[in-house]
Amino acid sequence: MKDFDLILDDCLDRLARGETVEDCLAAYPRQADELRPALLTVSRVKKVNTFEPGMEAKSEARRRFDHARADVSGRTERSFLSRLAYWPAVLVATAAVLVMAFLTYNAQQPGISPYVPVSIPVTSSGGNFVFLISDAVNAIGDFKSLEITIDKVGLLTGSGWIEFVPEVRTLDLTLLPGEKTQAIWRGNMPEGQYSKVFIYVSDVRGVLKASGQAVDVKRPGNKIQINSLFDISAGSITGFTFDLTVTASGNPKNGLRYMLKPQIDESGAVVVPASEASSTKDNPRKP
Amino acid sequence: MSAETLKEKEAELAGMFEQFYDKISRYAYVRIGDRASAEDIAGETFLKALKALPSYRERGLPMSAWLFRIAHNMVVDFLRQKSKGRSVPLDEVDLPSDVNPALLAESRLEMARVNQAMKALSPAQQEVIRLRFMAELSSKEVAAIMGKSDGAVREMQSSAIARLRQLLVE
Repeated sequence: MKDFDLILDDCLDRLARGETVEDCLAAYPRQADELRPALLTVSRVKKVNTFEPGMEAKSEARRRFDHARADVSGRTERSFLSRLAYWPAVLVATAAVLVMAFLTYNAQQPGISPYVPVSIPVTSSGGNFVFLISDAVNAIGDFKSLEITIDKVGLLTGSGWIEFVPEVRTLDLTLLPGEKTQAIWRGNMPEGQYSKVFIYVSDVRGVLKASGQAVDVKRPGNKIQINSLFDISAGSITGFTFDLTVTASGNPKNGLRYMLKPQIDESGAVVVPASEASSTKDNPRKP
Repeated sequence: MSAETLKEKEAELAGMFEQFYDKISRYAYVRIGDRASAEDIAGETFLKALKALPSYRERGLPMSAWLFRIAHNMVVDFLRQKSKGRSVPLDEVDLPSDVNPALLAESRLEMARVNQAMKALSPAQQEVIRLRFMAELSSKEVAAIMGKSDGAVREMQSSAIARLRQLLVE
């Protein structure tokens, strides 16, 4: 028989992974009578310690860490663009969207075609900002389809929030893993420095691959916000990618719990001189 | 350490940031009871670790455990500087003010009960509880941080839980 200390230890690990006391008791039915009071005590102690660090403090700490890392390695401070050499992910595709030629969309189809990473027509007279969505796979791999509806996007400048309604409102995240992006809005934004971005997600509909059934995907709130410092300036085009992911927790036996979250480290802006956006190339995808 | 190994270790440390910043913040918060200082300590832990990386040698101490040792030392320094030499009792810690007053009162009472019970544990037992429950480290990681065997940590946590249970039902 497995030593009680080992069993209790395993149960503590299970609780840390998001399983419940009942899950643990089901795993060890013979020790349930002895385990129950111990695990309820653990739950009580954990419940009074529900501290979560603030996102702003964390982002700032991350920024300082990345800066220090660049200094320690003797590299000059990496601009967001220069990190493209190391991040073969979404930001390269974002830059490609901005620098390549525009495809002509069907003149009878104004706006942006859904589900297809697009090239955005930008002329010298307008359109200094593009907003894109992408995702990091994680538990999105469990889904056959995962549609989110974004009703509103907001950006915070020094003088307050600027909001817009996306041209593309419903996207399937299973089609946007890694470096794939979907532009959902383009146009002109006031020049200046921006520090926060939110998307307002009114609906999430997921269908699992394994069962073909719809499943509930929670989110921290309808408004999903991240801190990110970026600039919109004259003579350049800024592309901001808001990266999302889905995590799974709990016991597969009882059904996993899915949560939609922002992927802060993969989100951010790329700035390209407007003159470079007029070259002609096909719509590339990152290999 | 070769330049290439150092780069790998830097990348490993950077990869730990997302998860371990939160764990270290929670651990520091339980010990010092101040949100801003706990967040500062978490950030500074990574900066210190980055600086000390050339002298890090795994040798049975995983990077997570090494990181927590740095955090522990920073917490101790913080408390020493504050000339308190003790953790701020949990019942002095701020709770969100937008909660129902009756629930808030009950939360404070529960916090006081748990805090009082924690004080009855030995310092080593308290540390195991903080690292296992609040920082949610594995018993193996806790053992590495505290310089004890896995078995000793499991035994300490079992006896701590039994003692807490006894105190919280009284």
